[in-house]
Amino acid sequence: MPDAATTVERGELLLELNQVSKYFGGVRALHDVDLELYRGEVVALVGDNGAGKSTLVKVISGVEHPDSGALRVRGEAVRLETPRAAQSAGIHTVYQDLSLCDNLDAVRNLFLGQEITGGFLRGRPVSRHRMEQQARDVLDSLAVKVRSLNTPVGGLSGGQRQGIAICRALISDPSMVLLDEPTAALGVSQRAEVLDLILRLKSQNRGVLVISHDLKDVQEVADRVVVMRLGSKVAEFGRGEYTSSDLIAAITGAHEAPRSPESN
Amino acid sequence: MSTHKAPAPTTAGEQSTPLLSRLVEGLSGRYRSIPVLFVLGLIWLYFYSRNSAYLTSTNITNLSLQIVTTAILALGIVFVLLVGEIDLSSALLSGVCATVTAQLAIKSDWPLWMAILGGVATGLVFVLAEVLAIIFGVPSLIVTLGGMVILQGLLLVVLPPEFVINIGGTDFAKISSTYIPSGWAFVIAGVGWLLFCAARFRAHRERGAAADSSALVSVGVPAVLCGVVVFGAVAVLGEGRGLPLPVLILVAMLLIASYATSRTRYGTHLYAVGGNREAAQRAGIPVSRMVIYSFLVLGACAAVAGIIEASRLLAVSNSSGGGPLMLNAIAAAVVGGASLFGGRGTVWAALLGALVIGSINNGVQLLGLSTEVQSFATGGVLILAVAIDVVITRGSLLPNRR
Repeated sequence: MPDAATTVERGELLLELNQVSKYFGGVRALHDVDLELYRGEVVALVGDNGAGKSTLVKVISGVEHPDSGALRVRGEAVRLETPRAAQSAGIHTVYQDLSLCDNLDAVRNLFLGQEITGGFLRGRPVSRHRMEQQARDVLDSLAVKVRSLNTPVGGLSGGQRQGIAICRALISDPSMVLLDEPTAALGVSQRAEVLDLILRLKSQNRGVLVISHDLKDVQEVADRVVVMRLGSKVAEFGRGEYTSSDLIAAITGAHEAPRSPESN
Repeated sequence: MSTHKAPAPTTAGEQSTPLLSRLVEGLSGRYRSIPVLFVLGLIWLYFYSRNSAYLTSTNITNLSLQIVTTAILALGIVFVLLVGEIDLSSALLSGVCATVTAQLAIKSDWPLWMAILGGVATGLVFVLAEVLAIIFGVPSLIVTLGGMVILQGLLLVVLPPEFVINIGGTDFAKISSTYIPSGWAFVIAGVGWLLFCAARFRAHRERGAAADSSALVSVGVPAVLCGVVVFGAVAVLGEGRGLPLPVLILVAMLLIASYATSRTRYGTHLYAVGGNREAAQRAGIPVSRMVIYSFLVLGACAAVAGIIEASRLLAVSNSSGGGPLMLNAIAAAVVGGASLFGGRGTVWAALLGALVIGSINNGVQLLGLSTEVQSFATGGVLILAVAIDVVITRGSLLPNRR
């Protein structure tokens, strides 16, 4: 199994997962998964349906708690009990769907859960004008065009909604961004925009973890590819060390013998 | 440079949107209350044309007193609807709270304010029990249906054996029969109006250069509209016996609720939970706690509504909080524009809806029509309002909406 550490010199180790396991009743969703994410790199997480990718994202983003194993953020062991705890640890997750409230406008969606507010005695009023300015800056910096900041996002197109969802990750200036199937429901030009955005996140020196079905996306942006199958990590490739058929073989388990986890 | 370029695509986008979809969008959002006001105007015009006594200041005072209970209860229901839940038990809860207050104030001779606190506490404890079951996972429809049946029994428990407590002639009865003289009412209205203008102006100045409309539009127009409504209402009520205290209580509650839901972080989270619970959860909003808060607001509203109703009817009995009150309150919230699907509508829906339903009831009684007409009209308006709600929120007129 190729070791990615030999290929590039790396930034700070942001996130480290050690022997993480998660069970849903009798179902083993994750089994002894190890994963590292360094500053300024894009790691792609691939695997077939039911491989445990989504569960892993939920564990990292604080939605689910691992049954065993340890998470370390910048070397310190953490327990991410809630999504908010994950956010304050610098991990922000962009979900494929279910991430926007259709009845709220763009500004409120961007700042959802992290509003800029005034004093407690006045009932924490939101500072609408400051949020609007910041929202405009973030949307402009990623060239996301929104018709109006004041109309509910339910009326916007799929690409605009995705743009807002991704911009939301940047509001709190996180060191790690998790993207769950960011290109799944997008057209050709919007997909290119999102891939651009991923590279921009990388150039901003953040750690990016991308979950994707689309192997073309993965080959384009990822510095490292982690392959999961049936809840276990079965392979890891550095950039340029693999071919499409290597990936597919690892995902489907076609050449089980040379790439089995036991060979690790 | 980028800030300079930004407005250009904005205006282009707006112009390319068809008029119809922009109209529907406006009606579903900021201008949701305009069709309701239109219907209200039609109702008033109809009854006024049939009997000119309808719009006299005496009748308007009556109408305002009649709708206060429904409106306060509807206000609580709006909070519950906003987080995507429903409640069927609050009307009977208002009866139980009023009875507890009456017991404490009349039978136990507690000071009135302590008795009122006791009533409100009863309401809060009961809804807390209900909402814990809801958070546990039982649908709110079932929990509050069960709660309603339990409250029917509870009402008989807290009532004395003769099933009635008369409160005529006590301090309790004065809550509803207090009128604020015209002069003071104008002072209160004036202070309120000035505060409103100051808040608008401050918001406008804070935006500074980012504001896309002039001071005249963002401060002047709302100030004039608000002034006309507030001073008009006070003038009309002042011609009669003055501003009734329950109306002042209702307006104060509406103002607080309006500030909390539209200007604070709490309000944003409330709408987020109603709009997309999963997204709210993932954004780190404590969803269960928001649902609990909403039900607690409902409990407090139910208690206040019950106390005012008891004080207006001069008694609590085994029919307190019964009758059409529950359905009228839900209908008022929905007619006014709160969506049954959660996350849409403002607290002013409670007032507007209660006005529509109260105006129909009052007019039907004034014309001496039979009760059936009243039922038909109220039911018809309710179904019509929900039909409009479905069209607007589900957007069957717009292909790219869900």
